[in-house]
Amino acid sequence: MRIAKSFLYVLGLPALLVLIWWLSTLGATSFFVPTPGTLASTFAKTWFGDRIFTDVLPSILRLLAGVSAAIILGILAGLLIGSIPWLRALTEPVLEFFRAVPPPVLVPVLMLLMGISDSMKVVVIISGCIWPVLLNTIEGVRAIDGVLSDSAHTYGIGGWARVRYLVLPSAGPQILAGVRQCLSIGLILMVISEMFASSSGLGFTIVQFQRSFAVPEMWSGIVILGLIGVAMSFIFQFTERRILRWYYGLREVENAV
Amino acid sequence: MQSDINQNPDLAGSPGATTGAGRTMTGGKAMLSVQGLKKVYQTDGGPVEAVRNLTFDLRAGELACLVGPSGSGKTTLLKCISGLMAPTEGEVLLDGTKVTGPPKKMAVVFQEYGRSLFPWMRVRENVELPLKNQGMPKAERDRLVDEALEAVGLSHVPLSYPWQLSGGMQQRVAIARAVAYQPEVLLMDEPFAAVDAQTRADLEDLIRTVWKKLGVTVLFVTHDIDESVYLGERVIILSSSPTVVQEDLIIDLPAERDQLNTRALPRFTELRHHVYEQIQLAKTGHRPAAASH
Amino acid sequence: MTKRTLGLAGILGFLLTWELIPRLGLVEARFLPPASEVLAALAVDFQLTAFWAAVGETLLAWVLGLAAAVLLAVAAGFVVGSSHFLRRFTNSTVEFLRPIPSVALIPLAVLLFGVKIESSLMLIIYASFWQIFIQVLYGVADVDNVAMQTARSFGLRTVARVRYVVFPTALPYLMTGVRLAASVALILAITAELVIGSPGLGREIALAQSGGAISGMYALIVATGLIGVLINLLMRFIERKTLSWHSSIRSEVIV
Repeated sequence: MRIAKSFLYVLGLPALLVLIWWLSTLGATSFFVPTPGTLASTFAKTWFGDRIFTDVLPSILRLLAGVSAAIILGILAGLLIGSIPWLRALTEPVLEFFRAVPPPVLVPVLMLLMGISDSMKVVVIISGCIWPVLLNTIEGVRAIDGVLSDSAHTYGIGGWARVRYLVLPSAGPQILAGVRQCLSIGLILMVISEMFASSSGLGFTIVQFQRSFAVPEMWSGIVILGLIGVAMSFIFQFTERRILRWYYGLREVENAV
Repeated sequence: MQSDINQNPDLAGSPGATTGAGRTMTGGKAMLSVQGLKKVYQTDGGPVEAVRNLTFDLRAGELACLVGPSGSGKTTLLKCISGLMAPTEGEVLLDGTKVTGPPKKMAVVFQEYGRSLFPWMRVRENVELPLKNQGMPKAERDRLVDEALEAVGLSHVPLSYPWQLSGGMQQRVAIARAVAYQPEVLLMDEPFAAVDAQTRADLEDLIRTVWKKLGVTVLFVTHDIDESVYLGERVIILSSSPTVVQEDLIIDLPAERDQLNTRALPRFTELRHHVYEQIQLAKTGHRPAAASH
Repeated sequence: MTKRTLGLAGILGFLLTWELIPRLGLVEARFLPPASEVLAALAVDFQLTAFWAAVGETLLAWVLGLAAAVLLAVAAGFVVGSSHFLRRFTNSTVEFLRPIPSVALIPLAVLLFGVKIESSLMLIIYASFWQIFIQVLYGVADVDNVAMQTARSFGLRTVARVRYVVFPTALPYLMTGVRLAASVALILAITAELVIGSPGLGREIALAQSGGAISGMYALIVATGLIGVLINLLMRFIERKTLSWHSSIRSEVIV
């Protein structure tokens, strides 16, 4: 009974929305909005073929490469800058500026510097989504509790052990908040770099559909981008819940008081 | 009353009431020695002298309490002793060696139990971490952790996270971590200030038990007069800031103490009364004659 | 040395490095002009009406999109947030729609609106809406039960309860959402201009790049960065002003 109820909660609204969509496209055939059936069949036809290997997978691989490089570099640099106060003061205004630059403008710059290539697209993703990770790591390292830091110090926990057992877990919630922003910026940049400077990839293909007025195909492209976004979000949430189990437990206890 | 408690063959020097210094010992017999310690903070509003001149020694295996009015630089002193902060002048010797950073033979229990345990580690991992960090073999580590958890009465919760426990239990975990570390000197910074009264009494007895069992030297900082007299073999009373030793008092209560009977002793009341008076004097700015200039 | 001087030294050091890289020939000056040239080009831009018109167009899209997103998200957030049923009922849909990258809507926007400002607005509103909506949901859910019961026991009616209990509790969350949404909105405004070609700084950047005015392109990019910094400062200022009473007692929700 309870399972059935939560099943209804999860699927109720989506089913309702699809129903409304189906009913509203039933009579008139709108140029802009395909029927659910058309979209589903177009989706299968468009993406379950060669395109997986020529467009979808390469895009996803570039995204993964860029995002993981940005996360690793951001955390390493953030640990370094965050633990040295003068370095933090020295770099802070410049980093704030870089964070404030809207990442998409990096596409024309890097096109100029590196030409149009796979590595350029990966560098676009890295240089656009490293900032939230970097700045959040710096902030997380800075905000380590003084008493906790003293405790570790009095027990002789220093060097790598300090990073491993104190700094990283303590900055974890902040770092992961940065990673979340990093993922969504990365996805945006993947699409834009392909729309702007490419002859393959998801972004390019979707724009091609739009230019040739292949509307159902264009919609199916939007759907696939949405699915990638949703999948990334679920993987992230799953990982975050595991890494930060202690954090959510602690917050719950604090909030209950 | 004072003269008879200030006689102790082990201790040279004179009590603080006239010199502003605590008891010191001859021939380097002290386990912990604080000599002419001074700490001045540089703030935006100019230098602030938190501790002026503190001198006292602790014998190996002694349990001494440090009391003082609030703002008397107790925490500053403790940070200097534990090597977390460098004094402006003077030095701290641990077993004859000058303290320049957190020494290996020392463990500290902080007041803020909620902030001194690693919230991302379970109870057992918290106690084990310092040992693991020393590279101690697993078997020995396990034995020490088990013993320490047993000693503080927490054998049943090794897999809980600290924040799932009550305040008193969290402080027990911190004590277990210190005990497992096998220190020669245990510093405690108002460890029970944030727990309720009943838990506090239990924890006080726990400290006496652990101290007797391990023979460790304990310096226990508190602002609670009853607690200092009940726990200590000796009570060092600090003046108000800038801090010197107001008085160094031997607590000649029987070694076996319990919450009901010890606190009911006339001598307990006398000592408590005396410490209370000294603290009141310190609050009004009275300072030992030799230190007032 | 104080923090401020160090920060200034950092900026100067960065500009110096930038100046030296093309001057020493590490990167060709036609790809990366020295800082002095770019700053000179920016100074020239500052005197051009066309530049300010482009800034104005970008900011117009930004402010309209952000305002619409705030209104929609606050209305939807308070309605959904105050009903346990609605929260559960919409949860799966929200979790599905929220991660969809707004740039996926670019082709649709082009199809519907072409290069008009509406294209920018559509992307900005979609992206900003979720940032604020989620924060408002958290905020409304955070309302203290005791405070709510107190309000009830004093006979406060629904409207009064929202006004005096729910709204003040949710306000800090709302402000966090608006601050996050403000920078997202700028990113999307520039993106739409860059990729679709709706009017504004982003389109100027694309034009400068394809026209080979490289110093000009870098100058415009620096300008977008400065606008971003100003928006961040403004948002933090507003947040501090509106939340002076309790910004310190609450840490940011991680969503």
